[in-house]
Amino acid sequence: MALLKKKNKEIVLERYYAAPLETVWKAWTEAERLAKWWGPEKTKVTDCEVDLRVGGRIYIVTEATGEMGKYAGTRWPMEGTFTHIDETGRLTYDARSWQEGDEEGTTIHHTNDVTLTNEGDKTHVRLHVTITRIGTKAKLAAFGMKWGYKAQLDALEKLLEG
Amino acid sequence: MTCLPVPVEAVFSALGEPGRLRIVELLRLGPHAVGDIVEGLGMRQPQVSKHLKVLAQAGLVRVQPRARHRIYHLDADAFEQMREWVDSFEELWAARLDSLGRYLEELDEEERDQ
Repeated sequence: MALLKKKNKEIVLERYYAAPLETVWKAWTEAERLAKWWGPEKTKVTDCEVDLRVGGRIYIVTEATGEMGKYAGTRWPMEGTFTHIDETGRLTYDARSWQEGDEEGTTIHHTNDVTLTNEGDKTHVRLHVTITRIGTKAKLAAFGMKWGYKAQLDALEKLLEG
Repeated sequence: MTCLPVPVEAVFSALGEPGRLRIVELLRLGPHAVGDIVEGLGMRQPQVSKHLKVLAQAGLVRVQPRARHRIYHLDADAFEQMREWVDSFEELWAARLDSLGRYLEELDEEERDQ
């Protein structure tokens, strides 16, 4: 759990892609392109809306396909609002993700900060996700730790005290 | 992200009762027989048994018979599952970025084919 810091859970992921920055930018910001890669394996994107302006909405629904067995048909929406848009390579938005049918329990509030940098013939992508608030199930997890179930997870407990 | 078999409402309502919360606090120190809980907390036996039943139904405690005693202890599994659920959020984003990589590669191939 080395990724836990202070109050919020921070996730930082970095990748290099062999594509021009402009192409990567379009893949993130044009709904039609976004829908093609957003859903991980065994899922499909059923709804995808991008209103690319500060205050504009991003809304994507990922649905589990039959390949996911018992999760087939489960839908995970994400709804967000753009807070910063810079076409030279910076995109931020505040969002919440949840599992349809249990919005209260599963909602994760998070901010996403995407930075694209041109590096030779490659594009570097840095994705910084900060989880700011989570639903009752996760709070319960923190509660359990408070009672000493898993001492090594103290960091997560602290994160949820805020 | 996975769904959870733990009934969250049941867990909250189980912990919402002060007497039950005291039992959980006591079990936090280690497994206890019913008699020890009765003695330790100064509650009546039928009351303690009733509380333990609710806590067990919520997945918070488990019972282990030992000789003539019934030993109760906290059950970490439920909480462990919830931690996994939070971790799965991170895995989802990693999978998503890999997927972006595949998409960009496909685009590149399409352009070359043209």
